[in-house]
Amino acid sequence: MNTDRIPDPLAGLMGRLVDASAGERLVVSVAALFTAILVGGVVTLVAGVFATCSNPSLGIFCYNPFAVYRYLFLAPLYDPFVFQETLKNSALLLFTGLAVAVSFRAGLFNIGTQGQLVLGALAAALVAVWVGRAVPSGPIGGVLIAGVAMLAGAVVGGIYAAIPGALKAYADANEVITTIMLNFIASDVAFFLVSAYFQKPGSGSVETRDVPASAMFGPELALAMAILLVLAVTYILWGTAFGYDLRTAGIQPDAADYGGVDAKRMIVTSMTLSGAIGGLGGAVWVLMSVGRWVNGVPALGFDGITVSVLASNNPLGVLFAGPLFGSMQAGSLSIDFQLGVPRQLVGVIRGLVILLVAMPEFFRTLGVRWGMGGGR
Amino acid sequence: MSAPAVDLRQITKQFPGVLANDEVDLTVERGSVHALLGENGAGKTTLMNVLYGLYKPTSGTVVVDGQERTFDSPRDAIDAGIGMIHQHFMLVEPMTVTQNVVLGNEPRKWGGLAVDRERARQDVAILAERYGFDVDPTATVEDLSVGEQQRIEILKALYRGADTLILDEPTAVLTPQEVGELFDVFDELTDAGKTIIFISHKLSEVTTAADEVTVLRDGKDVGTVDADSVTGTELAEMMVGREVLFETDKAPVQPGEITLAARNLVVDDDRGVRAVDGIDLRIAEGEVFGIAGVDGNGQSELVDALTGMRTPASGRVYLRDEEVTDAPRRKRIDDGMAYIPEDRQSRGLVMPYDLTENGLLGSQRDTEFATSGRIRWDDAEAHAEAIVEEYDVRPADTEATAHSLSGGNQQKFIVGREFARDPDAVVAAHPTRGVDVGSVEFIHDRLLDLRSEGAAVLLVSSKLDEVRSLSDRLGVMHDGELVEVVDPEKVTEEELGLLMAGEKPPNVPQMPRRIRGGEE
Repeated sequence: MNTDRIPDPLAGLMGRLVDASAGERLVVSVAALFTAILVGGVVTLVAGVFATCSNPSLGIFCYNPFAVYRYLFLAPLYDPFVFQETLKNSALLLFTGLAVAVSFRAGLFNIGTQGQLVLGALAAALVAVWVGRAVPSGPIGGVLIAGVAMLAGAVVGGIYAAIPGALKAYADANEVITTIMLNFIASDVAFFLVSAYFQKPGSGSVETRDVPASAMFGPELALAMAILLVLAVTYILWGTAFGYDLRTAGIQPDAADYGGVDAKRMIVTSMTLSGAIGGLGGAVWVLMSVGRWVNGVPALGFDGITVSVLASNNPLGVLFAGPLFGSMQAGSLSIDFQLGVPRQLVGVIRGLVILLVAMPEFFRTLGVRWGMGGGR
Repeated sequence: MSAPAVDLRQITKQFPGVLANDEVDLTVERGSVHALLGENGAGKTTLMNVLYGLYKPTSGTVVVDGQERTFDSPRDAIDAGIGMIHQHFMLVEPMTVTQNVVLGNEPRKWGGLAVDRERARQDVAILAERYGFDVDPTATVEDLSVGEQQRIEILKALYRGADTLILDEPTAVLTPQEVGELFDVFDELTDAGKTIIFISHKLSEVTTAADEVTVLRDGKDVGTVDADSVTGTELAEMMVGREVLFETDKAPVQPGEITLAARNLVVDDDRGVRAVDGIDLRIAEGEVFGIAGVDGNGQSELVDALTGMRTPASGRVYLRDEEVTDAPRRKRIDDGMAYIPEDRQSRGLVMPYDLTENGLLGSQRDTEFATSGRIRWDDAEAHAEAIVEEYDVRPADTEATAHSLSGGNQQKFIVGREFARDPDAVVAAHPTRGVDVGSVEFIHDRLLDLRSEGAAVLLVSSKLDEVRSLSDRLGVMHDGELVEVVDPEKVTEEELGLLMAGEKPPNVPQMPRRIRGGEE
C-alpha cells in the first residue's frame, strides 16, 4: 500500500494510533463514546423541535436527551425486563459476532451469518421437537434434547456456509455476493418448509411446534456458553496450527500457500466454522428466546457484522462489543414506549455510538496493515 | 565554488530502542552523483527520509543550497527542490505516463476548473526530450517495463521541480541492461546541473556510477571517499568493518544420488502462456546446480513447479525416488525441501506477523513446534531467536513484525528459516537479493555447508558472479528452455551473456545435462 498518497495530517494521526498503548486506546475509545453521546444529544434536542408532543419536557424541545440516555445505558440496571433482554441479546450477539469475526480473520466476508442462523434455528427446533417425542421429560432428557438440537443447528449452519465457501474456493465466486443471495434463499426455504410440512396446527403464523419445555434454558446459561465459545475460538486461532493456517490464509494467501496450507480447503473449512457458530446462535435463539422456530427471525446475523467490526474482528473484543450493542438494543425497546421517542431516532444515536467507537480502531487496523507508525 | 546542493550536519535519528543515525555528516556537491553505501540496516534509508522530510531528525541540521531548512513533510522538501524515488514505485498503473507525471500538480484551464490535458502532455514530452528520456507520454504505465517505470518516477520528481534526486536502491529491481541505461540517465541529469544521491549496497555500481561515496555502518558515517580512486575491497571493509573475502571456498564434494529431478517439464504462466518449455534437470546430493538467465525467461515458473506452488502443464517432478509432480506443498516441506522464494514480501513472510510467527511458516505442524496441533510458542520463539542470532537479523527482536524489517533483513530471516530445516533439497531463488556484502558471504557459506552435508541445491540468480562461484554445473535458461549446461569455472562472462541472449557461441565448456543414470 502506498501510504504516501494519504494526506500528511491523516497519516500522522494514523501513525500515532498505531503506536498508541493499550491505555491510550482505552482513553480514545471512552472519549469517542462521550463524543457520540454529545452529538447524539444535540441530534435528539434538534429533532425534538420539529416533533409534536403534548407536554414538552424542556420548553420547545420534545425529547429529553438525558432521559433517552438514561434508558439506553442504565435501563438494564434498574428494569428487570430490560436486564433480561440485555442478557439475551448479548448472548446471541456473541455467537453471531464471533461467527463473523472468524470469517474476517480468515480473510472472508461472511455476510451470510443471518441465513446460517435461520436454518440452524430451524434445524434445532425440528430436532428438539422430534427428539422430544422419544425422550422422557425431566432435566436429563432436557439436556439431551438441547445438546442434540444445538449440534443440529451447528451442523446445518456449517453446511450452509460451506456452500459459498466451496463456490469461492473452486469456482472463484465472490463470497459477499453468494452469502447475501443465500440469506434470501435460507429465509424462503425455511418459510416454505415450515408452512408446507412443519406448521404448528391451529396457529395463524408460520411457526413450528413448541420444543419441550425441559430443553429450554435461560440467558445466563446461554451467555456462559457463548463466553466459553469465544475463549475456545480465541485459543484455536492463536494457539493451534489450524488457527495459524487460518489467520495466515486470511492475511496473505500466497504466504499460506508457501507455508503448506491448502488455501482452497482452508476457505471451505473456515466458512464452515463460521457458519457452525452462526447456526449454534440460531439454536440458542430457539432454545432460549422463543421456544420454537417462528417466521421473522430477528436480524441477529447482520448485527453480528456490526459487533465484529466494532471489535476489530477480535474474538476477545466481541466479548465487549456484543454486550454494548446488546444492551443498547434492549434499552431502545423501552425508550420507544416509555418516552415516545421514535425508534428510528434511537437507531441514529446507536449508530453514532458504533461509528465513533469503531472508527479509531478501524483506522488503527488500516495503519497497522499499511505499516505505519514506528515512532515517526 | 557554490554552496553544496545538500549538506547534512551531525544528523542523529533516535527511534524507540534503535539509534538509526548517529551524528552523520553528508555533503553533496551540486551536479555530482553521490552514493550512500552501507549494509542493510546501516541507516541509509533513514538518513534519506530525514532529507526528504519523512522523518524529523532528533538533532542535527539540514542545509539545502546553503540555507538551513526544517522539513515538516515531504511537501516542504519538494518545495526546496528535493525529489525522492522509492524502491517500490508509486505509480497509478492503469493511467498514462502523462497523468502519472502531473498527478497532484496538474496544469489547469478554465480558471482552475479542469485539467489542461494538452498542456500536460506537451510539458511531459518537453521534459522527457530535455533529459533524453525515450518515453511515450500517452503510454499506459502498466504496459511499461520496470526500467521505464523508474524513469517515469524520475520524470515525476523533475516535473515537481526537483534539483536533487534521491534514489533508494534504484538498481535492485533492474536487469543489468537497465542498470546501464539508468546510469546513462544519471549522466544526462548531472550534465543538466541536477544532483543525484543514490542508495546502494552493491560495490560495483557505486564505483561505476558515483563521483563520491559516503559509507554508513551501524548508523555512523564511516567516511566519504572519491569513487574513482577507491577499490571494491576497501569499500567492503569500510562497510563491514572487517576484511571481506570475495572468493568462496568451495571444497570438492562427490555428488551422490539424484535428489531433485524434473523430466520434460512444461509450465504455463499466470496468463496461460508457455513459460517453461520442456526442461530436464537432475540434481544430485552434494551438488549446486545454478541457473543463469535474464529475468522472465521461465525461471520463476520452473521454481514454482519444482516447489509445488504451481501445477505444471505436463512433465514430472521427482524428489528422491518419489514423483511429487501433483503433490501439495505440505508433502514437499515434510520431505525435506527448503525453498527461498523470489518474492519475500508476498510469499516468504507474513508481513503483519512478528518474527516468532514467521519462523513457524511451513513448520507450523512440525512436532518440533507443535504437540498434536497445539503450537508451543516458547519453542517457536527460541527458534526465531536462533535464526535472528545466527543470521544477524536486525533489529534482533523476535517481536518485531516482518513489516518493520528492511528488505535485506527480511531476506536473511527467510534464508535462516529455510536452511534451518536441515533440507535434502534446496530451491533458492535469488537468495541474496537485496542483502549486504557481509551477509551475502555468510549465506553463500551456509549454502555450501548444506552442499557438503549432502543437499541438492538449485540456485536461480540474476547475479552472474554468484551462480558462477557457487555452482557445480551451470544451466542457462532462455525463452523457457535450458539452452546449455556449462562448466561455471571455465565459461566466460561473454559466453554466458550470449547464451542468455539466446545466441549459440562456439566451443562453450559444456557439461552433461544428466550426471549418471538413475531410474525415474
